Parts: sequence; C-alpha cells; structure tokens
Amino acid sequence: MTQEQAVLERTPDAAVRRSLSDRPVFMRYLVHTGRFFRTKPLGGAGVVIIIACVIAGVFGNQLERYDPETIFKTTNPEFDEALYEKSLTDPLVRLTARPEQLQKGETPILFSGPTGEHWLGTDGLGRDLYSRVIHGAYTALYVGLGAALMATISGIVIGLASAYFAGATDFILQRIMDTLQAFPPLVLLLLFGQVVSSPTMTVNTISLGILGVASSTRIVRSAVLATREEVYVLAARTVGGSDLRIMFRHIFPNITAPIIVTFTSSIGVYILVEATLAFLGLGDPTQVSWGKMIEEGRRNGVADPWMALAVGGALTVTVLGFNLAGDALRDVLDPRLRGRGGRAGF
Amino acid sequence: MRNYILRRVVVNIPVIWLVATLVFLATSVLPGDFVAQRIAAQDPTSTDPALRAAQIDAVRKDLGLDKPVVERYVRYLGHLVVGDFGVSYQTREPALKGMRDGLPYSLQLAFMSLFVGLSTALPIGIISAIRQDSMIDYVLRIFAILVLAMPSFWVGTMLLLYTVKGVSFFGLFEIGWTVPLTDPKLLWEDPGSSIRLFVIPAVAGGLASAAGVMRLLRSQMLEVLRQDYIRTAWAKGMRERVVILRHAMKNAMVPVVTVLGLTLAGLLSGNVVFENLFGIPGVGRRILVAIQARDVPVVQAFVLVIATFIVFVNLGIDLLYGVLDPRIRYS
Repeated sequence: MTQEQAVLERTPDAAVRRSLSDRPVFMRYLVHTGRFFRTKPLGGAGVVIIIACVIAGVFGNQLERYDPETIFKTTNPEFDEALYEKSLTDPLVRLTARPEQLQKGETPILFSGPTGEHWLGTDGLGRDLYSRVIHGAYTALYVGLGAALMATISGIVIGLASAYFAGATDFILQRIMDTLQAFPPLVLLLLFGQVVSSPTMTVNTISLGILGVASSTRIVRSAVLATREEVYVLAARTVGGSDLRIMFRHIFPNITAPIIVTFTSSIGVYILVEATLAFLGLGDPTQVSWGKMIEEGRRNGVADPWMALAVGGALTVTVLGFNLAGDALRDVLDPRLRGRGGRAGF
Repeated sequence: MRNYILRRVVVNIPVIWLVATLVFLATSVLPGDFVAQRIAAQDPTSTDPALRAAQIDAVRKDLGLDKPVVERYVRYLGHLVVGDFGVSYQTREPALKGMRDGLPYSLQLAFMSLFVGLSTALPIGIISAIRQDSMIDYVLRIFAILVLAMPSFWVGTMLLLYTVKGVSFFGLFEIGWTVPLTDPKLLWEDPGSSIRLFVIPAVAGGLASAAGVMRLLRSQMLEVLRQDYIRTAWAKGMRERVVILRHAMKNAMVPVVTVLGLTLAGLLSGNVVFENLFGIPGVGRRILVAIQARDVPVVQAFVLVIATFIVFVNLGIDLLYGVLDPRIRYS
C-alpha cells in the first residue's frame, strides 16, 4: 500500500475517500476547496472578501470609474446673475451677499453623497470617492502584505535560530525581542517615522514589519521548541545532516501551520495600524489611504458623516475578511484546536 | 519563587538598557534639529546665515549638543543610573514633569476603557461559551468579530459625530450632548463635564479590547467546560453559578490575563489616537507633541519610563499565572 493510500484509508469521511482517490491532482484541490467553503462558510466569505480586495488593489485602474485625482465641478447653482451684475457697481452688495452667490462659473462638487454619477459621492475636494476607495485598497494591501511578509520571514529565521541553537544565542535574541515588545507600538512607529524626514509607504511598511518581528518570532520559536525533540530530527542529525539542512528541510516543513495562520491574521492588524498612522497624519502624503480619507470625512462629519461612514465601512470589511479567513485557517490547520466544536477542516 | 522573581528582574536589566540605547540612537539621528527649529521660530526675520549659524552653535553648546555622540551617550546613561532624565528643551522643566501632568488623564481613560471592556467581555464570553452554537452565541460572536475588524479611531470618530449631532430613537427620545473638546476636566474636578468627554473614547477603546478578550475567553471556557473536574462539580450537585464562575472561569482566565495585562500596559502609556482626537492632555498626546517638536530629553524619558513599566507588567502577568493556576511552577 502506498503512503497515499494509507492516508486515504485513515480519512474518516467516506465521501472524501471516494472523491479523493483516482482523481487528477488539481481535482483534489478543487474538492478540498469545495469542502473548505462548505464546512467553513464564514472563512469562505473571508476568502471572497480578500479576493475582491486583491482584485481592487491590482486592477484598480480598470475598476475605477474616474481618475482618483480628477476634481469634479458643476456650474454654480447658487450663482445669482442679477446680484452679480449689481455687485460690479455696488460695493455694499459685495459685502452682504454670500460669496457663492457671486462666484461665476464652476464650483467643485463637495461631499455630494451617493449619486448615479458618483457611486459613493465625492470627497472634500470634489474627487470621486468610489475611485479613491478602490485606490485605497492598493495602499492597504501593499502595507498589510508587505509588513506581514517581512515580519513572518524574519520571524522564521530568528525564531528557528533562537530555538534551534538555544543557549546564549537564544538568550540574546529573546532579549532583543523583549526590547521591541517593551515599546508601546504606536510610539515605536512614531519614532521610526520621524527618523526619516518624510514617511513613505515603504518606510511605514518596514517599520510595521520590524514591529511585528517580535510576535512572529515568539510563535515560530515555540513551534520549533516542540518540534526539535522529535525523533525524525534526531534521525536527521544521526545521518549527519547539517544545522541548516535540519532547520529548513526537517523542522521548518512541520511548523508551517501556525506560520500560515499568524501570517493571514496579522495582515488585518497591519492594515488597521496603517490606517491609524494615516489618520494621525503620519502616512505617506502622496498615497491615497483609507485612514487619511476617514480623517477628511471626520472634519466634515457633523454636517454629513457619509464619507467617514463609507470609507470606514470599506476598511472594516477588508479587515473582517482577513480575520475570518485567519480564523477558519486556524481551525483547519492548527491541530491543537482540531475537533473542538464540530468537525474541522478537510 | 523568590529566586525566580529575582532572576526575572535581573534579566530585565539588559532589556531596559537596550531600550535606552535604542531611544538614544533614534533621537540622536533624527533629521529635524530642535535647535534650528527653535531659532527659526524665535527670530523669523533674521536671514543672515552667519549670524544664524552662530546662534545655532551657541544654543547647541548650551544644550550640550556640541559634544560627540559617544560622549553624550555615556553621559546620558550615567544620568539615567542616578534617575536624572534631563530637562525639556522646550519648557526647561524636568523632562518627566509632563508625564506627571499627563498621567491622571491617561489613567482615567485607561480605567474607564478597562471597565467598559471587562463589563462587556466577561459576560459575553461566558454566555457565548455556555450557550455554544445557539442563536445568542452566533449573534455575540458576529458582534465580537465585527468589533475586532473596526478601527477604534473610526468607532470613536463616528460616536463623537453622532453624540454631537444627536441620535433620535424612532422619534421617541434623543441622545446627544455637547462634548467639551477644548476643556478637558478630570473626574474629581468636574464629574459631569469629564464623563461627557471621556465616555466616548472609553467606549470605543474598551470595545476594541473587549472583542479580543471575549473571543479568547470563549474558546478557553469551551475547553475548560469539557474537563473532568467540571463534570465532578456538576455531579456534586453544585449550583450552576458556582460551577461556571468558580470552577470554570477561574481556570479559563489564564490566557485572558495575558491579554488584559498587555491592554493595561498599552492603556497606561496613553492612547495617542484618542487623546489626540479628543484633545485630552494625557501621556500619549504629550509624546506625540514631543516627538514632533524634537524635544529629545522628553521623548527619551517618556519612552524609557513606559518601557520599564511594560517590562514589569509582563513580569506581574507571569507571576499572576501561578495564582490562577497553581500547577504552573516557577523554576
């Protein structure tokens, strides 16, 4: 019996057994995916949201209805021709009339609210909000994915080294991680942001990534500590495997589950922090960011909170998507939580 | 036990030294120079570059900034050891004075948030666990996961907007009040005004931390409720309340305490976002101002004190584990 057949034999679900055997590999992936969506509908919803967000981020230029920087104008509806004529000769009219009544020509459409022309309305400068929200997805994804990738990859390297070599290496590396965690996160970001004179999107991504290294290192380290005493690691060492080979060929493949889970769930957190930075006015001034747009909506809020509501809604749904997907992945991949509260996973 | 505490304290010393060094490095390589900023602000008309340079040199010398970095670093560490944090460039007052002034505001905000957070998270987490997979469980879980995804600054903003505008409940009654944004008062100075201002950030911040605690508490409760000793407790005929609160909840609290401690540490360092949004002169807002003004001694002092505090909060959390779960032994 091949190893594969043995695995199939142990699969409790007869339907899965039937569906998995004698099918091409890609069909098996389809079956797995189908089961994921059936058993984890919330996780499936999260995946759909993530896909939508990625499409918005990557194909923003095709999806937007207008250029995000275009300022939309309309002929001034308040313009009063008669009053304008009078004001040319009578200075008193110029002082008493409201400025809008005298402005000839066009004014930008500010905070219009949703219309057929502008699906989400316009912002404080008269730009199309829908197109800007779509463009904000790029910033959110760039920072979220970038920071999560950076934190996870350095976390893997540092965590592996720390737990594998133990002793002095472990002590020193862990004290450095303690140091990073001793800072209040936002204060550390403020410090990083100020070291460079103007914060760009990439700089913010890097500082977020550095901030996340500590927690991802902890997770990798505890996973490695549990794995390094396994018999197959001892076996690999017995046949003379080098440290690097043991770390990356034998230990690493066995700790991917918690890494994938933390990676997915942390993206949402980074997106939130990026928005917070932009909200405080510390984001990249040249990029369209949801946090900055919420701040702009806030200033107009008492008159009409629609813009702050709409952009905040987009941000919430995106983060929700990553959280839902992360939760479902945790149920599926993390064996410690398996079998709790119903059947989990594949 | 005593040895364990002692060793943990000793291990924390290099951490605090690293924090001090990192802060010193970050503030010493800041591109914007406080001195140049200050002189430009004092005397905006002077355009003579030579005169300007002479002025800058004089002030730099006065502040001790003309010495090489290494010498400044050694001097800085020496002063730290005897508890001298230096004086603020801006106010010429001790660097920690701002922290003392801001702490009451931050503490009040922290405790109000913690109160909101705990009084929602604990009942919700427990109810959700003991009524697992019921309608109410689903509703509460969806609530938690939604709140977790909402940026707290956005929740705060929306709450603020709608309290100022006033919200009408089906025309029956209306809720809304003026938020004293320009005149922050502490609870014992003017309770009414203080609550009107603090309640919004407390609710927004409290809910954000409540969502995480609730989800953790629920999954811990589910695990604990399946343990043998819970079945024993039921079999002994104990009342539901005793089983749930004394036997189950106490054991489910171990990881929850971690999150709570981290929340507490974060809240005590001041909440930069809310303090900024609501004009509360707490620690967080003062840090932001000091960083923007390049007031190096103040930034160094604040960050070091907060980091030390967080390090010891973490130690406290570890010790609390032993109280909650006597099986955890320290060695």
